[in-house]
Amino acid sequence: MAKIIVVTSGKGGVGKTTTSASFAVGLANRGYKTAVIDFDIGLRNLDLIMGCERRVVYDFVNVIRGEANLNQALIRDKHAKELFILPASQTRDKDALTLEGVAKVLDELGNTFDYIVCDSPAGIERGAQLAMYFADYAVVVTNPEVSSVRDSDRMLGLLSSKTKRAEEGREPITEHLLLTRYSPKRVTNGDMLSINDVNEILAIPLLGVIPESQAVLRASNSGEPVILDQKSDAGQAYADTIARFLGEQLPHRFIEEKSHWLKRIFSLKEKETV
Amino acid sequence: MTASSLLMDKQACFLLKTNFAPCTILQLTRYDLTQLESQLHATIQRTPHFFMGSPVIIDLEKVRQLGPLNFTKMKDILLANQLVPIGVRNGSEEQQCDAATYGLPTLTIGRLSHGETGSHSSQKKETHPRTHQTKLVSTPIRSGMQVYAKDGDLVVTAPVSVGAELLADGHIHVYGPLRGRAIAGVQGNTDARIFCSLLEAELVSIAGYYLTKEEMPLLDKTQSVIQIFLEKEKIKIEPIL
Ligand SMILES: Nc1ncnc2c1ncn2[C@@H]1O[C@H](COP(=O)(O)OP(=O)(O)OP(=O)(O)O)[C@@H](O)[C@H]1O
Ligand SMILES: [Mg+2]
Repeated sequence: MAKIIVVTSGKGGVGKTTTSASFAVGLANRGYKTAVIDFDIGLRNLDLIMGCERRVVYDFVNVIRGEANLNQALIRDKHAKELFILPASQTRDKDALTLEGVAKVLDELGNTFDYIVCDSPAGIERGAQLAMYFADYAVVVTNPEVSSVRDSDRMLGLLSSKTKRAEEGREPITEHLLLTRYSPKRVTNGDMLSINDVNEILAIPLLGVIPESQAVLRASNSGEPVILDQKSDAGQAYADTIARFLGEQLPHRFIEEKSHWLKRIFSLKEKETV
Repeated sequence: MTASSLLMDKQACFLLKTNFAPCTILQLTRYDLTQLESQLHATIQRTPHFFMGSPVIIDLEKVRQLGPLNFTKMKDILLANQLVPIGVRNGSEEQQCDAATYGLPTLTIGRLSHGETGSHSSQKKETHPRTHQTKLVSTPIRSGMQVYAKDGDLVVTAPVSVGAELLADGHIHVYGPLRGRAIAGVQGNTDARIFCSLLEAELVSIAGYYLTKEEMPLLDKTQSVIQIFLEKEKIKIEPIL
């Protein structure tokens, strides 16, 4: 049976889709057969981030309604061999996703895949609850600011009460915190919460810290998930995150303020003159 | 009236069961409907969710000498303030007959009988919290969650987030940071207390009296355990040394 991972946040625009894409590519490149599903009905953009928007013919809702079978709707990713994408529908009918429909699709995928990554829509409504309902793991994507942390806290409450595991009284969902758009400089300035501040409030294990990075926007524009850009800080941070998810112990990087190269030169000069 | 009686018939399409849940008693200390209205309004303003839809019995003991009362008006005032009057008690015979015609039958349930009314006007007074069941929660209580220990104490061994709400008819114990709201003595038990190891609550309340975060004294965070209790209708926050 596949392991189901939900990427969720409550607050919108914090980096769920960016994370889902890189997570899926990361797992697939480690040899796990992975499917990534866009639950953001009406606002699909996972296919854009993955660079497969032109190959979308059928979608998640078509499969649920029986208008297409899974094999017709799944898109083979062009970056990673073991990766498939199930795009969201553009329909405006928010009720197009049903619990039975989602269950059916996940069940079918579960037979052949190792991991299923569910990219949750923002909010705490139906779409977000369906995305998390069957999960075994949750990656709670949080930006270091008060409103995002508050929403993540709410999400954690829902994860522990409104999911299948919770309802059946089984072992709870394994929760991971992923801090994204982290800017050490803004933390030092006091404009952002620090890792410790966030940890203290949410009190769940920290899976990774993704720095605020130009590379993310570049990656989105080119349809290449940022984890493939291993020269970039964000790409490396996502790779570390996958390694930790799979059980490796790695220190967190990109969490200290970089001193500017000019500053470094000046401090060298100062030393010389002394 | 027995505590539980059951009328059952094989052909009946319903069952009649009597079952008396704890009920709020509103004791009128004097007959002044204008004051009743303003005081109730003020109480509801302070604790908007406390009485929402609670059934109340109007105790007429202190006003039984006064003759006819305006029950229609009284009912309207209570309903407008989220209380649902279900009956009266301890009135004069004339008052009780009168009340019955306005849909307020005489009810003799509840523990208070003549003369032993507590000082806390609208509530029954008990010296000990009724700790029939203690509720234990050992997972974090997150924003948006609510936990209610009915008829007993609540023990939480995990953090309580901003936006979370704890309620108990008895005491509340939190072994972890308390950042949400804690409401002890929900049914009016003034002896209920709140204990916590780190007080950063948005609101603490005991038997309807409350303090918001802004009104709480600043405490040294290294202090051991903090207790919150009611003394002369004022909420006190003190470390336990
Ligand atoms: N580490 C990062 N550095 C810089 N920009 C980022 C980073 N992560 C995400 N972004 C940007 O933030 C925006 C939102 O990202 P994304 O779409 O992944 O968020 P989301 O949580 O899926 O949003 P929604 O709630 O709308 O689904 C995008 O413009 C993305 O490029
Ligand atoms: Mg998204």
